[in-house]
Amino acid sequence: MASDLVRPLFVPVILGTQRTGRMSEHAARAVLAELEQRPGVATELIDAATLPIPSDEAGEAAKDPEFAEKVNRADALVLVAPEYNRGYPGLLKHVLDTNLAEYVHKAVGVVGVSAGIFGGARVIENLLPVLRELGLVTIFWDVNVNNARTRFDETGALVDDTFLAIGKFLDELVWMAETLRYGREHVTTGGPA
Amino acid sequence: MKPQLSCPRCGTAMNHQADKLREPTTREEAESARFGGVLIAVFACPNCGRIESLPQPHDD
Repeated sequence: MASDLVRPLFVPVILGTQRTGRMSEHAARAVLAELEQRPGVATELIDAATLPIPSDEAGEAAKDPEFAEKVNRADALVLVAPEYNRGYPGLLKHVLDTNLAEYVHKAVGVVGVSAGIFGGARVIENLLPVLRELGLVTIFWDVNVNNARTRFDETGALVDDTFLAIGKFLDELVWMAETLRYGREHVTTGGPA
Repeated sequence: MKPQLSCPRCGTAMNHQADKLREPTTREEAESARFGGVLIAVFACPNCGRIESLPQPHDD
């Protein structure tokens, strides 16, 4: 369809932690910079720490209209998730839970960040069933930022991108986003109406 | 009868892309829930990409 050709893919990057001194912000900005280089892709950073989502409500009752609109418009999401004691930040889960239909049949890739050697591999594994329940479609590439305290210089720039595979990660995410956009918009569940 | 919806943004007939369960949020929903949740039909606009949803009766 002509409209598909003129509408860029929208792939926001969600930074999922509010901690002071978070290394994940540097990882998020590195992925954002790579996405900004991709033709036909629009992106922006969504900082979970700044979203006006109440902590005494849950799920869609806590929905922020501006965030929901961005998720509605998104074709794919990049989640940047630090690993805290092998789990994901409570804030990230709280924010993700504020939407549902907006996620269905959209691609998601996860950037795991950890201070240790595993690069957030365990937080990624813990997130997968959550993302599936939300209706998102996970890709088979991850970005694992290990030893996060030594990956970035004082300005936040990457000093060592060994094994980060950001290019392959984004290739797969964009492929999945394009494919799922076609499916969402043209393939009817249960067959044609 | 398949659910149908027009895009509230551009008026295009939307595509019924999925049925999804969501968790009940009220006692009434919980008492009527099947498959453990409330069934919603999820639509996408083939023109502008907007996503919308409607609650659906369970028909197995």
